[in-house]
Amino acid sequence: MNKKLLALLALLMAFMLFLAACNNEESATPDDGENGSETEPGTGGEEGEEGEEPASEELFPTVLENEGDAIEGGTLQAALVNDSPFQGIFSYVLYEDAYDAEIMAFASNIIFDTDGDFLLTNDGIASLEVDGEAKTATITINGDYKWSDGEPLKAEDIIQPYLIIGHPDYSGVRYDADFQNIVGAVEYHDGKADTISGIEKVDDKTVKITFNKVSPAIYSGGDGLWTSAEPSHILKDIPVAELLESDAVRVNPVTLGAFKFDKIVPGESVSLVRNENYWKGQAKLDGVVIETVPSASAAKAMETGEYDIALSFPTSAYENVKDLENVTLLGRQELYYSYLGFKLGKYNYDTSLVETDVEGSKMGDAELRKAMGYALDIEQVSEVFYFGLRERANSLIPPVFASFHDPSLEGYSYDPDMANQILDDAGYEDTDGDGLREDPNGEKLQIMLAAMAGDETQEQVINYYLQNWKEVGLDVQLATGRLIEFNTFYDKVQADDPEIDIFMGAWGTGTNPSPSGLYSKTAVYNFSRYSSDELEGLLQAIDSEEALDAEFRAKKFREWQEYMAEVSAVIPMQFRYELMPVNDRVKNWDYGYDTEFDYIDVELTADAPVK
Amino acid sequence: MAEKQTVDVEKKTPAASPPTGIQVIAREFAKDKLAMTSLLFLIVLITVIYVWSFLIDQEQLMRISLRDQMAAPGEKYWLGADKGGRDILGQLIIGARNSITIAISVTLITGIIGIAIGLITGYFGGWIDNIFMRIIDFFITIPSLMIIIVFISIVPKYTVVTFVLIMSVFLWVGTARLVRSKALSESRRDYINASKTMGTSDGVIIFKEMMPNLSSILIVEMTLNFAGNVGLETGLSYLGFGLPPSTPSLGTLVAYANDPFILENAWWNWLPASLLILLLMLAINYVGQAIRRSADARQRLG
Amino acid sequence: MWKTVVRRFLVMIPQLFVLSLLIFIMAKFMPGDPFTGLITPETDPARIEELRQKAGFYDPWYIQYINWMGNAFQGDFGRSYTFNQPVANLIGTRALNTFWLSLLSVVLLYLLAIPLGVLAGRYQDTLLDKSIVFYSFIVYAIPTFVLGLISLFFFGYELGWFPTSGTVDINAEAGTFGYVWSKFYHLLLPAMVFAVLGTTGVIQYLRTEIIDSKTMDYVRTARAKGIPNNKVYSRHIFRNSLLPIAAFLGFTITNLLGGSIFIETIFGYQGMGQLFVQAINGRDYSVITTLVMLFGFLTLLGSLLSDIIMSIVDPRIRID
Repeated sequence: MNKKLLALLALLMAFMLFLAACNNEESATPDDGENGSETEPGTGGEEGEEGEEPASEELFPTVLENEGDAIEGGTLQAALVNDSPFQGIFSYVLYEDAYDAEIMAFASNIIFDTDGDFLLTNDGIASLEVDGEAKTATITINGDYKWSDGEPLKAEDIIQPYLIIGHPDYSGVRYDADFQNIVGAVEYHDGKADTISGIEKVDDKTVKITFNKVSPAIYSGGDGLWTSAEPSHILKDIPVAELLESDAVRVNPVTLGAFKFDKIVPGESVSLVRNENYWKGQAKLDGVVIETVPSASAAKAMETGEYDIALSFPTSAYENVKDLENVTLLGRQELYYSYLGFKLGKYNYDTSLVETDVEGSKMGDAELRKAMGYALDIEQVSEVFYFGLRERANSLIPPVFASFHDPSLEGYSYDPDMANQILDDAGYEDTDGDGLREDPNGEKLQIMLAAMAGDETQEQVINYYLQNWKEVGLDVQLATGRLIEFNTFYDKVQADDPEIDIFMGAWGTGTNPSPSGLYSKTAVYNFSRYSSDELEGLLQAIDSEEALDAEFRAKKFREWQEYMAEVSAVIPMQFRYELMPVNDRVKNWDYGYDTEFDYIDVELTADAPVK
Repeated sequence: MAEKQTVDVEKKTPAASPPTGIQVIAREFAKDKLAMTSLLFLIVLITVIYVWSFLIDQEQLMRISLRDQMAAPGEKYWLGADKGGRDILGQLIIGARNSITIAISVTLITGIIGIAIGLITGYFGGWIDNIFMRIIDFFITIPSLMIIIVFISIVPKYTVVTFVLIMSVFLWVGTARLVRSKALSESRRDYINASKTMGTSDGVIIFKEMMPNLSSILIVEMTLNFAGNVGLETGLSYLGFGLPPSTPSLGTLVAYANDPFILENAWWNWLPASLLILLLMLAINYVGQAIRRSADARQRLG
Repeated sequence: MWKTVVRRFLVMIPQLFVLSLLIFIMAKFMPGDPFTGLITPETDPARIEELRQKAGFYDPWYIQYINWMGNAFQGDFGRSYTFNQPVANLIGTRALNTFWLSLLSVVLLYLLAIPLGVLAGRYQDTLLDKSIVFYSFIVYAIPTFVLGLISLFFFGYELGWFPTSGTVDINAEAGTFGYVWSKFYHLLLPAMVFAVLGTTGVIQYLRTEIIDSKTMDYVRTARAKGIPNNKVYSRHIFRNSLLPIAAFLGFTITNLLGGSIFIETIFGYQGMGQLFVQAINGRDYSVITTLVMLFGFLTLLGSLLSDIIMSIVDPRIRID
């Protein structure tokens, strides 16, 4: 028995030693050179940081340069960083979980290639021809391609996704206003028609789709156009209601991609092997194994050479991987922005319209809103809490959309002097001497902020923002007294809870940059409830038929961004980066958006990941 | 060898004029240096924490100071700073005060209810036992996490007091079950039957005669409960339903370790709180053991 | 006794019924619903409304409850919205995972804790006893997350002795010995962490009970009769000291069956604890209700089991 005890004590000692060993690394305190001046209120603002266009290429490489000699074949070990099991719905029409999409990317069924703005090109499996006058789109398969099971790809496979999404038994979110833009989609969905009348098979390789309206969004995969194919020779015999449970979706999906599914352990791991029928050629790797790895150990897993790449790697673990010698960090900007919204009206759910009431709102004064934007020290937060992996956003379009983003827009920067000045000028003075400003009528001004709960960092960041506002004399308090859990947050914000004056939210924008879903007067997600004729005009222009002309559209995008900046009903806060750590034995990996990269080119230079 | 000692000790214990409870306890502590030290340690620690926490300006303490992010222990901050550049030592003091307050309140509330119900059901047995036990079973089946989520969304501004009350609702059942199991067994013993036939009232039997005989298990239970309750909100904080953000606690400090980076590189963020909890637990344990011995004449040292 | 068992089972029916009602109402009281999580700029609010209608979220709660109950009686526990699967399938695989993990944890826990508790009690106040008590408090003070993560980093990643994530190796063929071994191998490290963390209570209760028993009359009598010391311990003291552990045995098992969000999250192990928290966060009503009912039933069963075990350990206790 004593031996057992000794063993236990030894074990505890081992822990302590291990901890001590870990502690020998350098401490994480950011150096003072970067921090010194800017924490002092009043000195940070002069530098015109917003003038420079931040480019992701400067911060991280997107391409992994590796000169080593490649080995024959080999299996790529990929970590899918996720704290819960993936759903395992391997179908582009049915999946809901972003992690499923990460896995499917290796065995993609997408038929169109895209350019740097995520606009469809004709270089992929299929090409697209849009006729604005006739309101039709013609999809043509560019060659004799095959599914991973050897069946040829045909027009029916292009049509299959529409038949699934439109089906009365389909229970996902993709049967939406966009989809109903296809002529005959509603009738099919209501069971009044056996097929969608607007979708027509021209020949074995060509499909023609008729829409109610055609806008430039169609090139972003909007307007109801679907960008992937489904294997009709398998799916057509499975009732739509049973698809989600079927083996064709969960166990052995058939694909068009560089790899095909081999084995799946539900929720945990997937093994893929080379797809001999891939249209671009044979992958150099024998296969890929993807395993779910909890976020807490993701960095450790890369450090010990357990995996070659990490998908959806948490940026909060950046500090743990940035100095690793066996790992190269690739990075790119995410399609994401966070924002500060001001409640300027209500949504009328009966008429489905935003009812803006600027005068009647507590936050109705644009000067007050602007001052609040200048008071926030977002630069420091990005630097210190997010290791520079986030940056002050200047507009409501992420810079990834190079043709639409307006880099010349100045946006806000941390400038408490300016904030004080604006507030003084607008008549917000501290009349009762408690250090907090009263509103121009001399009434106490208390602003209620709704912010979403997150990790420890989130809590401290929000505290810091409250502190920033207090420094310029604004009394901002947390609505409900604490950070609000995700579901409750959206419940309250969407319901225009009177307790909320301002709120901090974020949008992952997807590849379609059209802002009308978030800012038009009919949009439920227009959470600030601001709308005006001018805004509406701009939004319509962006998605108008005229905007099929790229230059016109880009111009309207810029005008819209400038208008939003001027109105300041929503103040953009941060853009952020996403990271992909890659082990040094991997060759030819490219993480960029605008790239010719294909999974078939990936090679390995050693038999096992470098430790 | 150990047994021999106890046997010897017993022989020395004279059954002459029985000393009063407090005298017995005092004598027991005087004989046991470890218990004495622990008791002094506890008194000093708790006093220091409560007095010191009054001297700390909590708003100033919880101010984010980005320049001091994760500052290592040094002259400015004896125990370093957290991610927001906030002094760990100050948070440790305030956190210890909050956590000890929570732990004492919850332990007392659940202890009193749990022990009383456990003793009563165990003593009477039969249908009283049956009814109470089915109620207890029911309480155990309700998931406390859900109740808390619902409660927070209905009464958003919850404080330490409401937190204590909610947690107490769920935590008395364990104690009750344990005490009941011992009481069931104890109440079938001869001395209880003898008392009953002598016409002693049930209340006197339960609390004056039976309870002291269960004191060992009660003290262990209370010690473990107290220790467990010190970190009570840790799990909830992890899920995002802990105390309001401006209320530091030992649990939140320990939870800093959930971030692998802090776990490995900034031990001063979470280790002091863990050690404090450990010290508290050990001290309470030693004190508890001394009290336990004094409750059982055969085990006394003095 | 059999009569009691049958009666206890009958009492479970109203208990579970009230529980289901309570849980259902509470679930509906939580803000948001399964579709709140689907909000992105690309989702159509109208479609989400349509799905809410279809799912019956706008019906009065009692209609929803009756529908759910009606289906549940036919073995259909509804669909999980967050996992897009029938609840029965979803829970099935995880319940099995958690079951094996619990079983191994309980076995390891008692293998570790009972000897330690007995030794500490028997050799009271020696260095051995003090070390064991100290150990038991250390593991009580270590947060689950810390011990779990450190074990994983050290034994899993640095030393490579154990698999680091999941429940089974992807290359193991189902049905082979290798598959069973792979499952067991994946269980080992989380189960050990579980067991080590759970030892405190058992050690403490056992130790106290043994110390108390030592001075009891029946032990003295036994000793006086000249029964060897070892036998006194194994026959008389040990058995009588098991009562508090017996009182909790049923619950220990059901608690473990509830899974642990921490262990499951750290080891990427799909089990019930994580599922429950996810279901609550995702407002996955059918999963929540089914899980609570399942846990409820197991808890009631555990309580009955504890009572039966208690009456075996100490025949003076009769359950009736």
